Amino acid sequence: MNLTDFCNRSLFWVLFILALSGPLHAEETEARRILSKLILANSEEQQAVTEELYDHGDQIIKEVIEGWRIGEVSIFDQDGNPIALLKRGEDSYEEISSGNSFSGGSESKINRTSRKLRKKLRNVVDFLDLSSNDPKERIDAAMKLGLTQKPDYVEVLQERINRQKDPEVKEAFEVALNISLLKNSDPSQKLQAVKDLGESASFPARDFIEALRVEASESDDDGASDLKEACVVALEKIDSEQKRVEFYGSLLRGLSTGSVLLLVSYGLAITFGLMGVINMAHGEFIAIGGYTAYVVQGIFEGTYGIGSTGYEWYFAFALPASFFVAAFFGILLERGVIQFLYNRPLESLLATWGISMIIQQVIRLKFGAANVAVSSPQWLFGSYEFYRVSMSYNRLFLIAFALFVIIATWLLLNKTRRGLHIRATMQNRPMASSLGIKSSRVNMMTFAYGSGLAGLAGAFLSQIGNVGPSMGQTYIVDSFMVVVVGGVGNLLGAALSSLGIGVIDQGLQPLLGPVMGKITVLFAIILFLQLRPGGLFPARTRSLDD
Amino acid sequence: MRFKSSILAATAFATGISSSMAQDTVKVGVLHSLSGTMAISETSLRDVLLYTFDEINAAGGVLGKKIEPIVVDGASDWPLFAEKAEELLVKEKTAVTFGCWTSVSRKSVLPVYEKHNGLLFYPVQYEGEEQSKNIIYTAEAVGQQAIPAVDYLLKEGMTKFYLIGTDYVYPQTTNLVLFEYLLSKGIPVENIGGGLRKDAAGKVISAGNYTPFGHSDFQQIVADIKKFSASGDACVVNTINGDANVPFFKEFAASGLSSEDCPVVSFSISEDEFRALPAKDLVGHLGCWTYFMSIDSPANKKFKDGFQAWLKKTDVAGVVKENRVTCSPMVLSYNGVYLWKAAVEKAGSFDVEKVTAALEEGISFDGPGGTVTSQKNHHVTKSVFIGETLETGQFDIIESFKDVFGEPFLKGTFKK
Repeated sequence: MNLTDFCNRSLFWVLFILALSGPLHAEETEARRILSKLILANSEEQQAVTEELYDHGDQIIKEVIEGWRIGEVSIFDQDGNPIALLKRGEDSYEEISSGNSFSGGSESKINRTSRKLRKKLRNVVDFLDLSSNDPKERIDAAMKLGLTQKPDYVEVLQERINRQKDPEVKEAFEVALNISLLKNSDPSQKLQAVKDLGESASFPARDFIEALRVEASESDDDGASDLKEACVVALEKIDSEQKRVEFYGSLLRGLSTGSVLLLVSYGLAITFGLMGVINMAHGEFIAIGGYTAYVVQGIFEGTYGIGSTGYEWYFAFALPASFFVAAFFGILLERGVIQFLYNRPLESLLATWGISMIIQQVIRLKFGAANVAVSSPQWLFGSYEFYRVSMSYNRLFLIAFALFVIIATWLLLNKTRRGLHIRATMQNRPMASSLGIKSSRVNMMTFAYGSGLAGLAGAFLSQIGNVGPSMGQTYIVDSFMVVVVGGVGNLLGAALSSLGIGVIDQGLQPLLGPVMGKITVLFAIILFLQLRPGGLFPARTRSLDD
Repeated sequence: MRFKSSILAATAFATGISSSMAQDTVKVGVLHSLSGTMAISETSLRDVLLYTFDEINAAGGVLGKKIEPIVVDGASDWPLFAEKAEELLVKEKTAVTFGCWTSVSRKSVLPVYEKHNGLLFYPVQYEGEEQSKNIIYTAEAVGQQAIPAVDYLLKEGMTKFYLIGTDYVYPQTTNLVLFEYLLSKGIPVENIGGGLRKDAAGKVISAGNYTPFGHSDFQQIVADIKKFSASGDACVVNTINGDANVPFFKEFAASGLSSEDCPVVSFSISEDEFRALPAKDLVGHLGCWTYFMSIDSPANKKFKDGFQAWLKKTDVAGVVKENRVTCSPMVLSYNGVYLWKAAVEKAGSFDVEKVTAALEEGISFDGPGGTVTSQKNHHVTKSVFIGETLETGQFDIIESFKDVFGEPFLKGTFKK
C-alpha cells in the first residue's frame, strides 16, 4: 500500500463516519427530547407522544424502553422541575434529554409504565427493528407488526420486502404482509394472501385464516365461496405441517427427557447394576451436585458480580465441581459404610437409606428447608429452530452431554486397563483379588465414579428444575426403574431404556395429558417386566450364586 | 416425631398458664402444619397469628381477657388435622380456631367443627362451593381472584386463554368456573387452551391441562402454549401449586416465550413463595391477590413494621427471622383475628352462635389490604389487586378492584 492510497482510504473513512454520525446525531437528540417528554407526560398525553417516536429511529429509544420496563427509568425532582433519568449502572445515572451523566440520581423516584403503553412502545421498537442489522430481529419485528393487522404497517412492510436479501427474512416479511392483508385489502388480494399463507404453512396465520373462513361461510357476497374454499385448503396445509412439527418435536423432547433419565440413572447403573450395591442415597448425590452448582454460582456472584461475563461461566466450572464433590462424598460413603456390606444387600439398602436421610437433614440445616435458586447462564438461554422444530439450548446441551457420558463410560470400561480391572472385580471379587487386582481400591473408585455421575446430573437438573433438600427423592424411583428395565448390570440397556421411556412418555403426553401419560408408562413397564423379568438385556452369568 | 414434642410443649405451656390465671385469658386455637410438605407455607401463618395475638394483648386483649394461643401441628397429614381440631375443641375448649391451608385439610376438619359447634377462620384462597355455619372464610373466593384477573386480561385485549394447573380440587374447580366465565364473555371454545374433559353426556367436567404435584417436565405443555399463542394476544392462567412452578417458568423462558408476548397470571405465587422461587424467571408475569406487600398505605406500613419488630424480639421456637415478607394469606389471617375480636366485642360474648350472628350482620376492619367487611354468607368483601412481578420478588400494583363481594357458589352461574 503506498502513501496516497493510504491517505485516500483514511479520508474515505473519515468522511464516511462524519456522514453517518452527522444526521444520526440529530436523530438521537430529537429521539431523546421526545423520550424525555414521553416519560414526564401524563397517561393521556403519552399515547400521542408515542406516535412521534416513529419518525426518529435511534438506538436510544430501545435502550430507554427496555430500561423503563425493568425499572431503570426514574424521575428526579429538581425544585419542582421533573427530570427523566436512565440508570446506567450502580449509582450512575444519565439525563435522558441530553445524554449527560447526572449526579444525585439515587434521590430520584423509579417510574413505571403501564402494560398498555408498553404494548404501544413495543410496536415502536418493532418498527425500528425492521431495519435492524440482525436478521432474527428483523424477522421478529415483521411478524409482530403483521400480527397487529394494523393498516399503517401494510405499506411499510410492502416497501421493505424488496430490500431483504436473506431468503428467510424475505419469507417472514411476506408472511407478515399477507397476514396484515387478510384484514386490509380487497377480496381478490385476500384470496391471494390466503393461498400464499397456505403455501408457506404459516402457524401464526392459522387463527386469522380460521376467522376469515367463518366470516366467508356466513357471507353471501360474490367470491365468498372461493375464499372459503381457499381457507379450507390453506388450513389443511397448515395443520399437516403442524402435525409434522409436533411429531419431530415430541421425538426431540422425548430424547431430552430420556437424557435427563439417563444422566440421573447412569450413576446408579454403575453402583447398583455393576457393583450390586442397592444405594438408596443415590438421589442425595444428585442433590449434592445441585447444591454444588448453587455454591459455585454464589462464589462467582461474589467474585464477578451478577450479569458480568465472568459470572456467566460459572456453570462451566460447576459441572466438574459437582462431579468431584459428589465423587468425594461417594468415597466417604464407600469407605465408611458400604465396603463392609458388599455381600449383604439388605443391610446396604437400610444403611444407605439412613444415610440418605442424614444427608437431606444436613442440607436442610446448612442451606435451609426452602429450595434455592440456581440461574441459567445466558449462553444456555434461548432456543434453536431446525425446520421449525424448536429446542432450547439447555436441552440440546443436555442431550449432547448424555451422549458424552455414555461414550466416556464405555471407553473407560472397555478400552482402559482400569476398566478391565473394574469388570474383573465386579464379576468375581475374590478371583480378581487373587489375580493381584487391588479389588478394594477398584471398588472405591468405581463407586466414586457412579456417585460423581449422579452429582453431574444434579448440576444439570439445577438448570431445568428445583434444587432442594429432597430433590433426590423425585429421581430415585425413576433411576431404579430405568436400571431394572434396561437389565441390571448392563450399561447399554440403561441407556436404551432411559431414551425409550423418555420418548414414550413425551409421545403419550399430547394424547393423554401428563397425569394419564405417566400412569400409562408405569403400567407398560409393569407389563414389560412381567414378560421379560430380566429387562431389555438380562445379565447372563455362569457363576453359581445367581 | 418432632410435631409430637412441640405439641407436648405447647400443651404443657398452656396448662401452666391456665392454672395460674384462668380468669383473665381466652383460649384461641392455631391449627397449621408446622412439619411436613406444607410447613414451609403454613409456618408463616402461625408466626403472623402469634404476632397478632401479642399486638391485641398489648392493647388490652379481647373483652378484657388476654388471648392464650394453643398451637397444634397438623403435620401436613389431613386425618391428623381432624384429630387436632377435636383436641382443640373438646380438650382445650378454645373459643375460636385460626387455621388450615389446603382445601383437603379444611374438608377434613369441617365435620368436627359442625359436630362440636366450633368456629374456624380459614385464610387461604380456595375454590368455593362450600359454606359452613361454623367456618368464616376470610380467604379469596374464585370471584375475588381468578375472575378479576381474567377481567383485567380481557380489558388488556387478550383473546386466547390457556388454562393450566396442578391436578387437585382447587385448580380443577377454579378452571371450570373460569371456563364458564370466559364463554359468557364471548370467548369461543377454541380460544380456551389446555383441553377439555367431558362426561358421557357431553357436558364439560373439566377444562385445562393438569400436572401431578411436583411435576418437573413441562416441555410438551410449553410447546403447546407456544403453538397456542403463535397468533398473539394470548395469555396463560396458572394454578400450578408449589415448586412445580420453577421448572414451568424455566421451560417457558427458555422456549423464547416472554411476559410481553404471552403473560402468565398465577394465583398461587405470593411474596412468601419468592423466598424459594427465582423471581428473575417470573419478571413481568402477573399475580392477583387481595393484598400485596407493596401496598402504600398507613395500615400496611403499621402491619409490616409491627411484624418485623415482633420477629426481632420473639423467642418462639422455630421462627425464621431473616428475609421475612408479608403476603395475602398472612394478612387474611391477621384480618380474621381482628374481625373475630370486633364480633366478640359487638356480641359481648365468646359464644360461637352470638359471634357468628354478629359477623353475619357485617363487621368492618381497616386491614393492611384495605377495608374488609364480613358478609351474611360467611365470606368477606375485600379489595382485589393485580400486580406485576419485579426482580425483587415484590409486585408492582397495576390494577385494583374495590370492595369485591365474596361469593362461593359460582359454578353454573355464568350463562352465555
